[in-house]
Amino acid sequence: MSITTTGNLGPMILQSLAPAMLYVPTPSMNYITVCDKVSLPSNGGTTCRFMRPRALTPPTIQLGNSGIDPPAQIPQRDIIDAQMAFFGTGCIINEQVVLQDQEGVLAWVSERLAVAMRQAEDLILRDYIVSAASQINAGGGSNGFNPTNLGISDFSLVAATLDTNNAYKFMSGIEGMDRFGTGPVRSAYFMLSSTELQGDFDALVGSGFLSQWNYPTNASALPSEYGSVYNIRILTSSEAPVARNAATNSSGTLNDVYYNTVLGKQAITHIDQDGYSMRLIYRDPNYSGMLAQNATLAVKFAQAQALTQDTAIRNLLSTRLSNLGV
Amino acid sequence: MTEYSRAAKGRFTSTGGAQIVNLPFQPDFVRIMNYTTSNAAATSQNVVAAQWDANMGQGFAIQQGYNATPAIIWDTVIANGISTFAAGQLLQYGPTLAISGITKANPAVVTTTTNHGLTSGDVVVFQGLYQSTTTGMQQIQGVPFTVTVTGLTTFTIPWNTNQSNYTALSGSPSGATVKKVLYPYLYFPGTTVISAITTGSTTTIDTTDAHNFRVGQEVAFRIPSDWATTQLNSLPNPPTPGSPIYGYVIAVTDYNTVVVNIDSTAYTAFNSNVTFAGSAGRSLPQIVAVGDVNTGGQLISAGSALYPPPVFEPIGTTEVNTINGPAIRGAFVNNTSQGFIVGIGAGTNLTTSVLVGAAGNVIFWEAFLHDMSIP
Repeated sequence: MSITTTGNLGPMILQSLAPAMLYVPTPSMNYITVCDKVSLPSNGGTTCRFMRPRALTPPTIQLGNSGIDPPAQIPQRDIIDAQMAFFGTGCIINEQVVLQDQEGVLAWVSERLAVAMRQAEDLILRDYIVSAASQINAGGGSNGFNPTNLGISDFSLVAATLDTNNAYKFMSGIEGMDRFGTGPVRSAYFMLSSTELQGDFDALVGSGFLSQWNYPTNASALPSEYGSVYNIRILTSSEAPVARNAATNSSGTLNDVYYNTVLGKQAITHIDQDGYSMRLIYRDPNYSGMLAQNATLAVKFAQAQALTQDTAIRNLLSTRLSNLGV
Repeated sequence: MTEYSRAAKGRFTSTGGAQIVNLPFQPDFVRIMNYTTSNAAATSQNVVAAQWDANMGQGFAIQQGYNATPAIIWDTVIANGISTFAAGQLLQYGPTLAISGITKANPAVVTTTTNHGLTSGDVVVFQGLYQSTTTGMQQIQGVPFTVTVTGLTTFTIPWNTNQSNYTALSGSPSGATVKKVLYPYLYFPGTTVISAITTGSTTTIDTTDAHNFRVGQEVAFRIPSDWATTQLNSLPNPPTPGSPIYGYVIAVTDYNTVVVNIDSTAYTAFNSNVTFAGSAGRSLPQIVAVGDVNTGGQLISAGSALYPPPVFEPIGTTEVNTINGPAIRGAFVNNTSQGFIVGIGAGTNLTTSVLVGAAGNVIFWEAFLHDMSIP
């Protein structure tokens, strides 16, 4: 008796594409999440201008009975300009690729281009904050580096700094509930930090750090939120700025320096121009050479950014206490 | 030429230092011609032309120059030749160099154990400045400094270390290193560390690297108490609670000196003689860009104050254009860029030649990015 096996009657087609694409690892985009958004109109020039009036001195001296008016105050304003810049990238795709591939190449390339664009927006904001926002070195930790690892007093210091500067908090508090293991959350600024510091935050449990899963309710927690300390709620991302091996202690040991951005409302503003923040451009092959072989698929965007409340943002620089995973 | 290739040409006048050429792409082939040396009498070690292909590797080049005869020969440059760059993200650094010593002086003189390869105007940061566990110069760890090169292994930094709390570094202390900040001015104006303050009816601020401020720039100060002149800080403001105190730049003396309109006559003198012991966790004194007083009334046209586009001042009064179009001065500017660099490398045979030419040489260049490269 003969048995027909795949050895002598194999499948005509050896491969089949799984129905769903695999996910693409994508960092949390915290910087674009927390900034204010402004749109410059079309034909609005190259620069977005912000105006912030200055407070007038409160009249705390009585008028008396002389009948003479006090001197007038001169209203003042601060002007902040942000210059638009254009960015873009794209792919040139030969028509044979579209004709012969099975996986809908134009669809997933479009998706990748859009994500790349959003990541660019976030990275530009991140680097801009590193460049433009003033810095505080963490000193509350005990690891002996300059700056130190994050200590509980560093959170207190930076929150007090922003409070003293009358910065506006992002989030109202979360009232305590009668649930085991939970605690109330204060009204809070955001701190944009690195996923690599999550071990350091865990080490502060019991000293004031409240994990996000210990909030009375997670309804207002953001997906990248790791927890809170005092008046600061911490968002983490793997793309948070870090200067590798940028600190050395007296033993010659190296440590990374992290830029933990603590900010209130309106501290940083992202500006687009007339909806130019998302333009996906497809040009079919008819626009290429005489044989119309190549399509192009591209994204471009216009962006500016500015520190619109310089008193409401600080980069809290720190090193790391915990070991770094691999 | 195929449909999507890129080609560009131009010229520059050599400063004798590495020359950056901004382009809207990173080329895979670059050719340069030194018009000055080609048009002059044959002179040993003069380079007349060079080219680079991406497949040669970064920093390489093939050059033509005069030998001792003098006759033109082919030669290779294996370091500091031609390379491409993509200045798109911050916190990128060059190689780490060990330090053999830093003097107590104003300005401080830094000596590296090997050739540093820096050019005046480069920005560096230090770390591990321990002469012992309790002495050294840790006070300036992490501070970005613009360097002035004084030799192959020496440069100065704009900081006064000739003060009691600083101990000279000597004998190549273990862990004492310096590295170049590759792209220090991708966004400006920004935050800059203060090295000195001269108080008076106006206030003069010296910074450790280029401040990139213009006249009319509105600035704020963040001066921790260790540095003494805390009266300059934006807040608190007792007469007008909550309203930050800002100053305006009324003169730009140099790349690292500005004059601000704040009367600081009665303020505490700035103290850069901070202690070594408190270095861990001490924040640095900073001057921060806030906004500007520009009213937008200036015309943007060739020859006007707004054209050519914004500049940064890497050192001295030399101004370098960015790739951005005209902008209102004082605007926060994105200065990211890409292109290629012609380095100062010498040839393998023409051992004292300089690829980028001597100061004043006129260099013509062509750059290409090809659709097709085989392989």
